[in-house]
Amino acid sequence: MTTDDRREPPVSLDAALERLPRSIEPGRDLWPAIEAQLEPRSVRPVRRWLWPAAAAVLLVVASSLITASLLRREPAPVARQAPAAPELRYATASFGPDQRLGPAYDAARQELAQSLAQRIDRLPPPARRQLERNLAELRRASAEINAALALKPGDPLLEELLLNAYQDELAVLASVQQLTAGNGSGTTIDATRMQL
Amino acid sequence: MTEPGTESEIERARRVADERALVDSARRGSAAAFEALYRNHVGHVYGLCLRMTANPATAEDCTQEAFIQAWRSLPAFEGRAAFGTWLHRIAVNAVLAQGRRRREQVGADVPADETAAALPDPSASNDGAVLDLEAAIARLPAGARQVLVLVGVYGHSHEEAAALLGIAVGTCKSQLHRARQLLDARLQAREMAS
Repeated sequence: MTTDDRREPPVSLDAALERLPRSIEPGRDLWPAIEAQLEPRSVRPVRRWLWPAAAAVLLVVASSLITASLLRREPAPVARQAPAAPELRYATASFGPDQRLGPAYDAARQELAQSLAQRIDRLPPPARRQLERNLAELRRASAEINAALALKPGDPLLEELLLNAYQDELAVLASVQQLTAGNGSGTTIDATRMQL
Repeated sequence: MTEPGTESEIERARRVADERALVDSARRGSAAAFEALYRNHVGHVYGLCLRMTANPATAEDCTQEAFIQAWRSLPAFEGRAAFGTWLHRIAVNAVLAQGRRRREQVGADVPADETAAALPDPSASNDGAVLDLEAAIARLPAGARQVLVLVGVYGHSHEEAAALLGIAVGTCKSQLHRARQLLDARLQAREMAS
């Protein structure tokens, strides 16, 4: 702020200006008028380009359900006559800070993914291709939603979409495991492990 | 035992942390958090608007506009500057936008003498010199007044004030020089009259 032209006038004027209070309360409360004009927080810019990701998640889930349904109708191979895999139980997950999923989710996902690699060969080729496409699409959607969350941390819509995408991925992985399970060796996903 | 200086630093740090939490909540859509920010900053914003416009009703409009604009822009607020600094810039923009609308409506700037008459006691101070100074600032021509308020009262550099007002740095300096001359002359005339 100190400039050459501030030396020109009397020092007392500068001092007097600096002594003026910075803050002056208005004569009336302006908040009610301001509050009346506050629009609910908009997430439209993110929503617009996220609809494809959300739609992809829905399509993939629907597609996976159809695939699973078709597989169930096929003549049961020997492996599928074995006792059914333990029932999967999901808990409603919640996000921790910074939208990072907890280690329990990662462990469950890793376990199912490893199991998938071992079991995917048991699926008929068309179902296998469909499954691989679906998982790739789900993971792409998750990555897009994660990127949007980095720009808008804490956005409730994005968090919900991401949660759905992750849970759908787990559901697809788990359904493959159930379909191909033999001798009851399937993995149980316990609700307590899904606390994210 | 805590030294007074240390205590004030702790308090300041706490206030900054509290404000960050309020800003984060408001960004996520909490009107309650935004109201708390309004309560913390309305005095500064209104004071700036009142001095820049020299009109209480216009200053209220600008203050409202500044907070509404801040609410809309909060998602883009990255926190590089303090919230108060960011809000200060929004308030200056609100005053300038209001000035443009006003000139469009009436075709010319409203004479400062008219607006100065509407300026109420701007502070609770009973200091006659302060009131004289506030009244003299209010009577300055708009351009000179805005530069004087930003540089002389709110401590901006000429570069900052010029950028905020959208004028050249040289213009800012000459406006400040003019404002000081006018102020000095008016305060001296008042002294002689009394």
